[in-house]
Amino acid sequence: MTAIEINGLTKSFGTLKAVEEMHLSIDHEIFGLLGPNGSGKTTTVRMLTTILRPTSGDASVCGHSVLTEPRRVRDRISYVPQDMAVDAKLTGRENVVFFAKLYGVRNPRDKADEALARMELGDRADDLARTYSGGMRRRLELAQALVHDPEVLFLDEPTIGLDVAGRKKIWEHIIDLKNNGMTVFVTTHYMDEADYACDRVGIIDHGVLVANDSPEALKARCCNDIIVIRAEGEYRGTDIEGVRLIGQNGDELRFEAGCAGEMGFALAGALAGAGMKVKSFAVRQPTLDDVFLSLVAEQEETAAFDYQRFRTMLRRRA
Amino acid sequence: MISTFHYLERDFRRWVRGRINVVSALVMPAAWLIFVGLALPIRFTDNYLDFITPGILVLTMLGASLQGGSLLMFDKVLGFLPKFLAMPAPRESILYGKILFITMRGLVQSTVILVLALILGAHLLNPLLLIQTYMVLFIFGILLSSVMTTVALTLEDHDSYAAFNSIVSMPLFFTSSALMPYDQMPGWLAAIAMLNPVSYAIDGIRELQAGVFPADTFLGLTAGAAIVLAVSVYVFRKATV
Ligand SMILES: Nc1ncnc2c1ncn2[C@@H]1O[C@H](COP(=O)(O)OP(=O)(O)O)[C@@H](O)[C@H]1O
Ligand SMILES: [Mg+2]
Repeated sequence: MTAIEINGLTKSFGTLKAVEEMHLSIDHEIFGLLGPNGSGKTTTVRMLTTILRPTSGDASVCGHSVLTEPRRVRDRISYVPQDMAVDAKLTGRENVVFFAKLYGVRNPRDKADEALARMELGDRADDLARTYSGGMRRRLELAQALVHDPEVLFLDEPTIGLDVAGRKKIWEHIIDLKNNGMTVFVTTHYMDEADYACDRVGIIDHGVLVANDSPEALKARCCNDIIVIRAEGEYRGTDIEGVRLIGQNGDELRFEAGCAGEMGFALAGALAGAGMKVKSFAVRQPTLDDVFLSLVAEQEETAAFDYQRFRTMLRRRA
Repeated sequence: MISTFHYLERDFRRWVRGRINVVSALVMPAAWLIFVGLALPIRFTDNYLDFITPGILVLTMLGASLQGGSLLMFDKVLGFLPKFLAMPAPRESILYGKILFITMRGLVQSTVILVLALILGAHLLNPLLLIQTYMVLFIFGILLSSVMTTVALTLEDHDSYAAFNSIVSMPLFFTSSALMPYDQMPGWLAAIAMLNPVSYAIDGIRELQAGVFPADTFLGLTAGAAIVLAVSVYVFRKATV
């Protein structure tokens, strides 16, 4: 039995198709759903965690349909939403014991201590969560999620807003959980993190899953090596064969090419010959970023207002 | 539903940690009791404190419910609700826990006010009547906190809720029988006061004081609470699918 089986999952909000005809099968791995803001990642997770009802299609988690057996699904999963929410006025331990009781685990205090220790929060367990750093709060949420030994863990942007060390730690824990047999469904828009941690990634754009494979396979399939040239002046195309422009950002031009080493020199020469002032050029392996940019239409940042700030404001009032 | 009590416990723990909140909710009713109950020159009764105490107790419950209505909305806005909804515990227990917490908190605050009234010279009811008084307050609290929780869930943002709150709270109190008996009111006020659910609860407690068991009050409040609770559950289910 596969941990997560998604069959034609679709969600529309009015005329907007937030998730369209998604098919996926995920088992005993870290699956990363990657996509820009508004591409449908959270909507997907909310359907899989039985919080949102799909418009059409179905998904089963641990063999139970999210449509017909949502309670059984909830028994087997844990969900850590994108927006961090821990009770700041409670201690770390109180936060976790509360969840343990809600999950109905037999010995909530022992289970809570175990989960806290696992998340390296044992020595701070009796401090108010108010005093925790962002990374600690995220780990506290993981401890809450782990307290009933779920089979599948859903994490929505678990590293968003954390510093580098905090992110690394979260990913190490996630990898550790997978190594102990858990299936982890995680969303992120940080490509480097997905590349580092995920066994398989799906790339979603405007609700449509446009790719789904291991990071290595995606990189190998998508592009050859990358040539990055910084040059002043107007780029008017090149007739060198086997070289293709894949991106332009200010005075930085990105090309993909088969034998990038040789092509790089030829290309730099050609651009200089065409009147551009070449300042530098470099050749590198493709990253997941390149895969992503080649698959996903670039789009403007459209966040209308600063939701994070709005929430911070509310939190102070609550 | 044992999970109701886990949600209740969480809210109580959070409440007692917020020191100022614990006290601030008591300031209003205490001020009424002291400045109006003791200081107002009243002719229709020789112990105005005894007369006004039921009104102030109900006022305390009213304040607690109005203040508590936004709690569930905050759980939603701050992102707790999605976590709770993804858990196997029955979802309705989130709502029941909240309504129960608001009501219990109101009862704790009412107790403080009651003790204060006794210190100031109000007369104690016998234990049986006291229990019945608490039952009236409890049912009234369930009724009102269900209403306010539902309103907050429907309005979905704090500013609208605060506005609704200030529109409702003062008129509801002043058009009740809290401060004077019906025969002392102008006719138009008495007409409104008789329809006001707040007077309903207050009159019930006054009847208890006078040694009458207010069966109709109990029945009316319980029926009202049951209806409102059902609506509340319906709105909650719709808001969480
Ligand atoms: N409750 C909702 N009502 C209407 N539109 C929604 C709702 N939730 C999400 N959307 C829209 O669906 C799209 C996908 O959103 P979301 O899944 O949150 O994206 P992501 O998590 O990838 O940033 C967005 O365009 C968003 O505005
Ligand atoms: Mg999202």
